[in-house]
Amino acid sequence: MTAWPLRWARRNLFATPLDGALSLLVIPTGLWLIYALAVWACRDAQWSVLGDSMRVMMVGVYPADALWRAWTAAVILAALAGATVGLVVKDDPFALLGGAALGILVCASLLAGRDLADAGWAAVACLAAAAGWLAMAKLPATRRALPLAWLLGFALAGGIFAGPGFDAWGGLLLSIILTIAVSALTLPLGILLALGRQSRIASLRICCTAYIEVFRAVPLILVVYWVWIVVPLLLPDLSVSGVVRGVVGYTVFFCAYVAEYVRSGLQAVPRGQVEAARSLGMGTWTLNTQVVLPQAIKVVIPALVGNMLDIFNAATLVFIIGLTDFLRAGQMILADPRFGNLTYEVYAFLFLVYFAIGSLITFTARSLEGSLATGR
Amino acid sequence: MSPIVTFSAVDKFYGSFQVLRGIDLEVARGEVVVVIGASGSGKSTLIRCVNGLEMYQRGRLVVDGYDMPNAEDRELVGEKGLADIRKGVGMVFQQFNLFPHKTVLENIALAPVRVRKKSRHEAEATARRLLARVGLESQAAKYPAQLSGGQQQRVAIARSLAMEPHVMLFDEPTSALDPEMVGEVLDVMRELAAEGMTMMIVTHEMGFAREVADRVVYIDRGSILEVGSPQAIFDTPQNERTQMFLSRVLKH
Ligand SMILES: Nc1ncnc2c1ncn2[C@@H]1O[C@H](COP(=O)(O)OP(=O)(O)O)[C@@H](O)[C@H]1O
Ligand SMILES: [Mg+2]
Repeated sequence: MTAWPLRWARRNLFATPLDGALSLLVIPTGLWLIYALAVWACRDAQWSVLGDSMRVMMVGVYPADALWRAWTAAVILAALAGATVGLVVKDDPFALLGGAALGILVCASLLAGRDLADAGWAAVACLAAAAGWLAMAKLPATRRALPLAWLLGFALAGGIFAGPGFDAWGGLLLSIILTIAVSALTLPLGILLALGRQSRIASLRICCTAYIEVFRAVPLILVVYWVWIVVPLLLPDLSVSGVVRGVVGYTVFFCAYVAEYVRSGLQAVPRGQVEAARSLGMGTWTLNTQVVLPQAIKVVIPALVGNMLDIFNAATLVFIIGLTDFLRAGQMILADPRFGNLTYEVYAFLFLVYFAIGSLITFTARSLEGSLATGR
Repeated sequence: MSPIVTFSAVDKFYGSFQVLRGIDLEVARGEVVVVIGASGSGKSTLIRCVNGLEMYQRGRLVVDGYDMPNAEDRELVGEKGLADIRKGVGMVFQQFNLFPHKTVLENIALAPVRVRKKSRHEAEATARRLLARVGLESQAAKYPAQLSGGQQQRVAIARSLAMEPHVMLFDEPTSALDPEMVGEVLDVMRELAAEGMTMMIVTHEMGFAREVADRVVYIDRGSILEVGSPQAIFDTPQNERTQMFLSRVLKH
């Protein structure tokens, strides 16, 4: 019993001379780095900058008297996110402890910023996430309602948040809403493109193939910028806000990728499935919606979740069309002379938040992959 | 009454390779026709033409009063119109091809609801009745992967029957099954035959063929070499190749 750490170390760190040498090099360096980071984080760093600028990083220049709208949207999204995690994580104690710790940390840091209202809202958001998780993990009957809940909840959150107009959107909440909106819009479009690419009708097939290949071959920034410029030219009488143009640009670009994922799923459905459905007299619509797509999408759900992470990370590029996403908001704070020398603190925070959200998405994709592989 | 299936001089090619050669065959309503022949001789292709899963190039094929489009017509009209004829033609596959993401009950009720536009309630009641008929009423809520091969094939038969077909096609329905499960599937088919269902069956079960067939068709390299009653084909085959084939398969 007492010897197992030794045995573990021996087997994993010092199995061969090369392993040993590498371990001797890497372990002390790693420990020293952690130590230096801890000293900086606990002694030198001035975390108060975060309290002062949290609002900007979360919602950009959103009007202060409409902040309840942003918080309400955040609470709804937290509940939906919690519910989605509950789909794959049912009773893993580490994940639950991690989630609880994260929630307490968020609330505590807002309390430390002495903003009671914000801390209260954050607590409500955490509770909403917990409630969403609980419903999904403990009441399997609610699972069927999740897509509808997402649709209604997201529309509601967007509508409430959009009270002061789309142009007020910014910060982390903008990044998140952009990611969700683009993910939601690219799925049906990607499915249609993938089906079109397999169509019997040559003109449709050629158009879809061309679309997919063109947009996979060009950079995202080009597409986003191009859409931003072209939309007002096409609709000169309408002033379409930058956020909407951004969502359109990202959707135009990412649906080509979704189409390719869906296509790989379609190819994984055995021919016999189509033949059986055809033999029963099903038309193309029933065949696809009832037989082929449910099987194809199931295969590619992990890839689609991964694609969502790509969208989230790529959302940092919206600054080129003048939007203030999370990363951009952090940079804006640094542009303020009061905070100009606090680069490390702000970037450390940005890093941590991106890492936490990215890990959550990857983790969900992994668990889904696992449960889809073992489940039916 | 007019025959339900009529092949007249049907030719089919895969590229330049001719799979079916001048097929002439009539299947009367209520008749059970068993198709036998060596592997690769074109049995599957022959019956898959009947519900349009395969296209033929030359000749004429009439199914249930409906002129099946040939390959050239299909270029123009695609699958359109075929769905109508397929509603009345059931097909059972060697690999079952149940829908893995749907329960047994959903598998059976899906097409009646979506294609025949029956109410879900009515379709599920029918599905349960059909499940009872194939001896699987207790399995309605299970998924196909939870059933044995023999059970899956019986569900597949029930799924076809739910569309109330005028003719049923079977492509080696027992070839993918473990030997101990062959009997339960053949029993269901026997019952169907006794009830007067029109069936075209490709099978290697010669005992079963002799018992249920009204006529046996021997096909060799894409041509029908001999057609006759089971007694005529199995006891006094006229063609030399039929004799050779039968002596090979009946030895086992
Ligand atoms: N999709 C295809 N392309 C080319 N040749 C095929 C195809 N399907 C079947 N064949 C050929 O057609 C012949 C008849 O096949 P099949 O009808 O499946 O025979 P059987 O069912 O009697 O074993 C075989 O020689 C087979 O190799
Ligand atoms: Mg075959």
